[in-house]
This record gives sequence, C-alpha cells and structure tokens, in this order.
Amino acid sequence: MSHESFDTLAATYALGALDGDERAEFERHLAGGCAVCEATLRGAAEALAALARSGPPMLPPPEVKDELSRRIAATTPGRRAEARPRPLVWAVGTLAAMIAGAAFTGAFVAARYEGRLGQMAREAASLRTRVERDAAALREQIAVYRNAVDLLRDPETQIVALHGLGPNPAATGRVIWHPVNGGHAFVANLPAAPPGKAYELWTIGEAAPQPAGVFQVDGSGRGTHRIPAVEGGKPVKVFAVTLEPEAGVPVPTGPMVLASK
Amino acid sequence: MATGGSDLIMQMATGDRQAFALFYDRHAPVVFPLILRIVRERADASEVLQEVFWEAWRDAGRYDSARGSPEAWMVTRARTRAIDRVRATRRRGENRGTIPGALDRLPESQREVIELAYYVGFTQTEIADRLKQPLGTVKTRMRLGLERLRDVVTTHS
Repeated sequence: MSHESFDTLAATYALGALDGDERAEFERHLAGGCAVCEATLRGAAEALAALARSGPPMLPPPEVKDELSRRIAATTPGRRAEARPRPLVWAVGTLAAMIAGAAFTGAFVAARYEGRLGQMAREAASLRTRVERDAAALREQIAVYRNAVDLLRDPETQIVALHGLGPNPAATGRVIWHPVNGGHAFVANLPAAPPGKAYELWTIGEAAPQPAGVFQVDGSGRGTHRIPAVEGGKPVKVFAVTLEPEAGVPVPTGPMVLASK
Repeated sequence: MATGGSDLIMQMATGDRQAFALFYDRHAPVVFPLILRIVRERADASEVLQEVFWEAWRDAGRYDSARGSPEAWMVTRARTRAIDRVRATRRRGENRGTIPGALDRLPESQREVIELAYYVGFTQTEIADRLKQPLGTVKTRMRLGLERLRDVVTTHS
C-alpha cells in the first residue's frame, strides 16, 4: 500500500470515521511507528481544535465547575479541607465525642493515604507513559535504520548532500533517495526548532516544491526523517529544509536552513 | 497558536486545583459548544463536559506536549466522549443546522462529509450509503476537506 492511501486513511481516522478492516490495518500501521501518519493525525487534531475555536464560545452552566470542584476536593488531600469545625462533636456526650473523633481521625487518615496513593498512581502512570514512549521511539528508529540499509543495497539509490544556509552554515545533512521508494534524510548541527516550529522537508522537481513532512532535531542537533516517495515517481532535483509552523505547511513560508546543490 | 497552557496541565498533574480552575475557564467555553452540538441536549452536554474535565484532571500526568496542544487534547476527548454518549443513547442521526465557523469556508461536498463524521458520528461506510457515493469518494472528500480546513485555520488564526 502506498503512503498516499495512508494519508487518506489518516484523515478518515482523524474524523473518527474509519471502520472495518481498514481501521484495523491503519491501527497496525500506526503501532508500527509511522512518523508521517503521526504528524498527519497531529495536524488534523490541531485543525479540528482550531475549528472548535472558530465558532462562538459558550459558557457552560456554572454547576458543572462547582460539581467538578467538589469531586476533586473529595479525592485529593486539601491543605485545610479537613480542618472544618464539627459542632456535633462538642454537643454530644464524651463517648459519642470519642467515637466521632475516632471516625474523624479515620477519615482524615484515609483521605491522606488516598491522596498519597493517588499521587503514586500519577507518578507510576507518567513513568509508564515515558517507558512506552521510549519503546515506541526505539521501534521507530529501528524501522528507519532497517529501511535505510535496504535502500542502500539498491543500485538505483542515490546519496545527496545537504548544505547549511543562512544562520546555520555548519548544519549538514545527507539524503538517501530512491526514485520509487522515497528515502531518508539525516541531518546534523541544526539548532532545536523554537516552540511551535518544526523543520519541513521539500522535494523540488520541475514544478513547485512538494511538502515531504516535518521533523524535529534532538538535543545534539541531529534528526532523521522518512521522505515519502514522490507521486508518479517524478525526478527530484533539489532537497531543501525550511523552518515552519510545527504542523507543517503546504507551501514553504519560512527561512531555508538546508538545501542540496 | 494562541493556546499554550501545557504548564497548567503539568501543575494539574501535581494536584494543583487552582491550575485546574484556570484550565477549566480557558477550555470549557470552547469544548462546551462542541459537545452541545453533538449531543444536542444541554443537560447531556453538561454531564459530558463534567466527565471530560474530570478525566483531564485524572490523566493530566499522561499529557505529552509533543503529541499536541492542550486544546487539541481537550477537543479530541470532548468529541470522543460526546459521540460515545449519542451512540449509547441511540440518538444519533438527525443533523441540525450548522453553527458559524471555519467549516463555512469549505466546499459543500467536503463540509458535508466532515459534519456527518465528526459531529454526527457516522463511519465512512454509513456516509457512503447515505450519500450514495463510492467509499473512495467519501474518503477523498474527508482528506481534501481536512487539508482545506487546515489551510483556512492557519491563514485566519
């Protein structure tokens, strides 16, 4: 299946409308770690969020927030929530006061421990998310390397050098490019993109530059990016990288930071 | 994007109720009309809204800003829960008038499939049946519609 059809599946999935075998197939594809589809889904979610924001805002009934505050206060240990005076305790006899006191202490201890447990559950959950994310990142990296090695075995594969431009003359890159299967870009010495921005790769043939996905670089300035094949296998003359809004744009708008000769 | 606010979620993850109150004030007026549009009844919409924010409070520790903005996180949740609600009550189907927004700037054929999928909760197969169009056409319209929507919202925000 070509990546063009995955783009369509991703859009349908983002709208919650993918069903049947195609849904299962797309979810398997996603689980395999596909940076292109993940970026498409992210872009779609942001566009749908912007759509929600584009209509007139509407204040919900105030009871909703009150009820939420009540629920949250009931499950998290408040700093002073337990210190409310209990007039009943003073009004009844000694025994009742002791029972009430014990119950109060019990509730207080339970609330404290529930809070502590809640906190631990949050920490465990965040740790688990981090491990899952690391594993997914590793799987993704292996897939990239395996694919790059496969491409290198093919006599039709070319290696194209990218050179730093503008403020980043030290930036470098290589593109492993196969005219039918697409390829990979490996870049180094690029500064991390500012918040809300990402690097976007472009393939330039006879016509206008074609967007080939967005990527980020790591703390050491390195990044890898899978480049989808160009529709119809049209020849690519130049590869270029620009700095763009993180969801990616259909035509380049930002400064060019890397280009092939 | 003028949203930011991932710092609020991080504070929520540590149990900060004040951060939650600010987070609610910021996002509830955006997600409430979305939920209301899907479930149509104000009482249902209030319940779904409460569930969505309750889950946000509970799952704040799992939010990952690399995967999307806080607003996208909330809007995605809100849409999913609202559709769950109409599916559970089998009250899906009739589509009411549209509310003004960025969809107005899409061609009718693209707007229609996005509305049926996103706000009514129909799957691609159900939409193809209903519109008597090939499945491929429906999917292509969704893709083009989302691409167009992305252009519209990035040029206007």
